[in-house]
Amino acid sequence: MDNVKNTPNTAPKITKETKNKIRVEFERTSAWTRFKIKYLQSGFFVSALFKIARFLLLIGIAYVILMPFFTKISSSFMSGEDFVDVTVKLIPKYPTLDTYKAIIKDNAYFQALFNTVLLSLMCAIIQTFICALIAYGFAKFKFKGNSLLFGIIILTMVVPHQTLQFSLFMRFRYFDFLGSLNIFNLIPMPTANMTNTFWPLALMSFTGLGFKNGLYVFMLRQYFKGVPDELEESAYLDGYGPFETFIKIILPLSIPMLITVFLFSFSWQWTDNFYTTLFFPTVTTKLMPNIVVLPKSLDTTIAPSMYASAVNNACAMLIIAPLIVIYLFCQRYMVQGIERSGITG
Amino acid sequence: MNKAAKTKANSMLSLPAGNVPAPGMPKKHRVGGASLDAKKARSGWLFLAPFIIGLFFIYAPVIVDSIKFSFAQVKPLRGGGFRLIPVGWENYNEALFVNPDFTRELVTGIKDLLFDVPAIVIFSLFMAVLLNQKMLGRAVFRAIFFIPVILCTGLIDKIDADNPLSNYMQNTTSSIDTGSGTDTVNAIVNATDIQWMFSSMKVGTELVTYVVNIMNNIYDIINRSGVQMLIFLAGLQSISPAIYESCDIDGASAWETFWKVTIPMVSPMILVNAIYTVIDALTSADNSVMSFITDVYNGAGGQELSSAMSWMYFLIVLGLIGIVAAVLSAFIFYQRRD
Repeated sequence: MDNVKNTPNTAPKITKETKNKIRVEFERTSAWTRFKIKYLQSGFFVSALFKIARFLLLIGIAYVILMPFFTKISSSFMSGEDFVDVTVKLIPKYPTLDTYKAIIKDNAYFQALFNTVLLSLMCAIIQTFICALIAYGFAKFKFKGNSLLFGIIILTMVVPHQTLQFSLFMRFRYFDFLGSLNIFNLIPMPTANMTNTFWPLALMSFTGLGFKNGLYVFMLRQYFKGVPDELEESAYLDGYGPFETFIKIILPLSIPMLITVFLFSFSWQWTDNFYTTLFFPTVTTKLMPNIVVLPKSLDTTIAPSMYASAVNNACAMLIIAPLIVIYLFCQRYMVQGIERSGITG
Repeated sequence: MNKAAKTKANSMLSLPAGNVPAPGMPKKHRVGGASLDAKKARSGWLFLAPFIIGLFFIYAPVIVDSIKFSFAQVKPLRGGGFRLIPVGWENYNEALFVNPDFTRELVTGIKDLLFDVPAIVIFSLFMAVLLNQKMLGRAVFRAIFFIPVILCTGLIDKIDADNPLSNYMQNTTSSIDTGSGTDTVNAIVNATDIQWMFSSMKVGTELVTYVVNIMNNIYDIINRSGVQMLIFLAGLQSISPAIYESCDIDGASAWETFWKVTIPMVSPMILVNAIYTVIDALTSADNSVMSFITDVYNGAGGQELSSAMSWMYFLIVLGLIGIVAAVLSAFIFYQRRD
């Protein structure tokens, strides 16, 4: 009993007690002291300053990245009068849709859009699948020549395509199946002209030689290396073959990574102007690079070079508009996919 | 299963001799076909089949052709096909000693490349460290910073470079932004007066000019460091938080932790990024040497000459990659993984 009587000196006094709540009385540190300890010390100031500086820096760089897009958008809505008016800076005084209308009508934008969607979708789907296949072969199967072939894949990434542009063009202009391997022309082969068709890019995608495919194989290989072997072993025990395992177990597992690769290959194929201008030398098949010309119906005499620039900007906006939509939905996957791939060497 | 495939599979075996049937023995007892290793090796080849086919039927011929073209003149034939007239080293000779601009372009191009690589690698590491910290609006900043990876490539780059206003604007008082990004940056750079800031420090003038040049081209550098940032971010995410915790407990400051933990742990990525930057610069559309070569390609009869030029450029850059890799790999710290 004595102990119980002594305790109130140290233990808090209970003022109110209900079934769920309990209120006790204790001496609280004053608000000013708490404030002083928490905020009025050098550590807080330093970290706050650092946070503000970091935020300002990020805002500044974000501004540098985004500003060109804003100016592109605004100048694409400008009319001829705005280019002459010195007071017009960013927001056009006489906004007009003429530039867009002229490009869409004269340069056959929708035709180019349709063709580019077809081409990019085809390339992206084939490349994602083929690169996953090749990368899986590199990541999970040990055989002689594995590392040599991987070196060759990296080499295909290193050799600039400008180096090969002439021979690539000649290869698909006069396409036969043996080509240079048919050294002494022992078997005369008929040649096929594949330019101005989707065949060159389709064939290159099917063989993992498309635009930046070495990078995709590298990324996917690193990712597949992280997939535990036990998964496949149990699939083999259940009677799956390697190919079945790949299709039914590995691919569904790696959908975020595949979306990343798909996003890269789709958008890089979309904005690619090297292969499209190389393999489509005449403008019979309209593609995105073909719409970047001055529309005939637009009267640009009022400020020729500025107007041309505005038209270019409008073209750029029209070209990337579908990509922006895709990016808004997929950018989350891009960062996550790269993070999960663990390109950690 | 046919016999050829079986012998091929057997020849790929790297098993102890006991598992391989002796030549005289009947092969009947191997009912299930080849051993597991051989099967795996065979399916490995199957997975790589698309690439191997492409290598033999498209890539190798293209490489061989390209080398052949650089030593020849191409005459298209009337009935389809073409004929090569070998001319020896003439194309190379013309590129190096006859063409007035190629050597100059080559030297400046390689010098620019050497100066850009450290700037891009350091910038992207810096940004990746910032974007890896917890803060308000991180997802938004990340989304913005990776826009150039998707949107500022190929065609858009070319449109920006060809923008007829960007040269014109610098000489006029008109106020409309060209949309090429350089104007905005120039305004910021002029406002901060970096040259003055640096001249008060006691560093050499070369360093000052280098930094000022980087600041002037910051838009370019941001555009070209997107993938590198992603790679660094992946590397930073893979560092175990336990290491940072123990540093914190031991009383290491953030600065020390950065130099003693972060840098060694991401050092493999520094090598990857340095090489990637060189490759990216080499293959990008706004590379000055490459655009010069493309101009030669589009000129009259310049196709063979451009092949010769780009092979020379490629070999030089390949040598540079080798040097960079050799130098950097001396400083790389590999975490032991079992």
